[in-house]
Amino acid sequence: MLTRRSAFKAAAGVAAASAFGTEAMAQGADKVIKVGLNLSYTGADALGAQRIANGAQMAFDSANARKLVKGHVFRIEKFDDATATAGQYDPAQGAINARKMVSDKAIMAAIGPMMSGVGKAMSPILSSGNLPIITPSATNPDITDPKFASQYRPGGKAVFFRTVTTDAFQGPNMANYFADVLKVKTIYILDDSGAFGVGIADAFEGQAKKKGITVLGRDRLDPKAADYASVLTKIKSLNAQAIYYGGVTLAGVKVAKQAYDIIPNAIKGGGDGIWGTDFLTAGGFPAVEGWYATQASPELVGDPKLAGWNKLYAERFKSQPDNYTITAHAGAEAIIEAARTLVAANKAVTREALRDALQSVKVNTIMGTVEFDANGDIKSKVVSVYQIKKDDTKKLDDPSAQYKYVGVAPEA
Amino acid sequence: MTFTDLLLQQAINGLSLGAMYALLALGFTLVYGILELINFSHFNVFMVGSFVGLYILEAFGIQGQLTVLSGLPLIGVLAVTFAGVMLFCGGLGAGIERLLLRPLRQVRGPAPMITTIGISYILFNIVILTQGADSKNFPNPLPPTEWHIGGAELKLREVLIWVVALLLMGGLTYFAGYTKLGKAMRATAQDPEAARMMGVDVDRVISVAFFLGGAMAGAGGLIFGLYYNFTSFIIGFKTGLFAFTAAVLGGIGNVPGAMIGGILIGLIEAMSSAFIANAWADVIIFSILVLVLVFMPSGLLGRVAPNKS
Repeated sequence: MLTRRSAFKAAAGVAAASAFGTEAMAQGADKVIKVGLNLSYTGADALGAQRIANGAQMAFDSANARKLVKGHVFRIEKFDDATATAGQYDPAQGAINARKMVSDKAIMAAIGPMMSGVGKAMSPILSSGNLPIITPSATNPDITDPKFASQYRPGGKAVFFRTVTTDAFQGPNMANYFADVLKVKTIYILDDSGAFGVGIADAFEGQAKKKGITVLGRDRLDPKAADYASVLTKIKSLNAQAIYYGGVTLAGVKVAKQAYDIIPNAIKGGGDGIWGTDFLTAGGFPAVEGWYATQASPELVGDPKLAGWNKLYAERFKSQPDNYTITAHAGAEAIIEAARTLVAANKAVTREALRDALQSVKVNTIMGTVEFDANGDIKSKVVSVYQIKKDDTKKLDDPSAQYKYVGVAPEA
Repeated sequence: MTFTDLLLQQAINGLSLGAMYALLALGFTLVYGILELINFSHFNVFMVGSFVGLYILEAFGIQGQLTVLSGLPLIGVLAVTFAGVMLFCGGLGAGIERLLLRPLRQVRGPAPMITTIGISYILFNIVILTQGADSKNFPNPLPPTEWHIGGAELKLREVLIWVVALLLMGGLTYFAGYTKLGKAMRATAQDPEAARMMGVDVDRVISVAFFLGGAMAGAGGLIFGLYYNFTSFIIGFKTGLFAFTAAVLGGIGNVPGAMIGGILIGLIEAMSSAFIANAWADVIIFSILVLVLVFMPSGLLGRVAPNKS
């Protein structure tokens, strides 16, 4: 007979199971593998963070449901690296999160961060704890560059893995696209003073000069300032044919709005920092129309092979994924595969063992084969180019509808 | 674009920025002149003003930059929006004074100033938590009318900013100089004790100063949105800091000084971005401030502060 008390317990159980999903399955004798998910959940990049978190969540949920790693179950713990004072990602908060993760012995691996500035702050701390992390979107090349190994991996081994390529390819490949495809002759380059923005703008500038584009100037924007009209007016007076903006949306939307007023006919482009819903909604049409943006991955969302997966995602989260949702899913798959190989070989899942297993992993993920080189970089170096073209028939804030894939940027 | 065109265009940009700084600087100066208090909550009253403006404009059904009005409907919508924002922010300013600062009036030391910083953070966080932290596309019904002067462009919205700023500053100057309440305000600024003895209701004067400061900040916030077509929770910091700098540069407590300071800071910002580098603009502005203060410690037009009795 169902007494009132047992009915309550049953109801609570159902509620808990539906509320916690993954955790409800962590019953019995299964060992928990905790995975830190360090993203910028609040602030200017919150929507992108949610898509990445969803991608990783789907991979781990599916692995738990299918019991891919015998006797183990994955559990996600979220860490937010954005702060109110910064209004966006904050490297100092990333460092705090990295320390928290290292000191939590149950965390075996992590996914994140979104932003290179945070990656630079986290990598040395994670290295000291031998805790591997896979970023789905941080593209600054220095973090994995052996030249800076003493700075970013003082522990020796690579701990910062990526399922995207770096700005060492994203910036220069886009410079090739500007020179070869768009036939740009003169350009002015801006950055937003962040690690990502300065790095990608530097890499773009170097290759643009090599390709014979005249760089008329380079200036730095304060993302907290509102007024870029003065610098854009200067660009107009120089008759620049194009501008390239290295940076993220906080300054990016203001550049787009004011550039639309002052230099409406210039060719305008940027990196993956201005690819996303935030740029579309805050920038708004017509200001963002015609902007070029890149992604440091192959074009995945439009890939017909992923149509079924996209549909699953849309049903579960009531929104559309983007490429970095898929690279996050692939990163999670790499962690799952590394853990699976350890368990299959009867080895204990520790941070060190998992890191070593990731280093040699070769796994067929939803984005194709993922393999890392000795520095943690993904072996595939494809950069995709998109242009914003207003499509009234679709939702105006849906990046996969408004950013049209226009091709692969020629490799440098 | 020739050099003179560039100079003219940057002067137009700088004047628009300056008008915004000047409106905001007035709030600092009014309160400081009477209470010798730097009111940091002013930064974010300005920011709240832009959000109130966004809601009022959206209530009129204006979406992004795609709804364009002209003639009487445009003037009507703008007048109602300005009035609504200024009343709201004036009320906010006066309310902050009445509820949170008046109880601290007799407290010596930095407590009231720290309180204003706290209020500023409260407003800031309320906006993040209720509005989200992403930038917002600001509805703007102004037609994209522009005039060409040589190679420079003068846009309708720039003219609007200047006209509104001039009207408000003219109104404030008239109020302070020629009305009874304005005279009471100046008397309180000079010597609150003596003013009280002459029958001035000092509490009321202080409330009015906070109301006017808040209303100016609100107008500034709305102008910010109309000028840049965006707003976000973070806009108060940089603009507020520059406006405060403008008030000090002109001579804090001095109403014409705040206006001149604001215009100067705007022009310096525009010119240094154009002729040196945007990255150096802050360094240049604050270097000029330091230099001016070294040689004219009370600012360009002289400082006005209440007598300590």
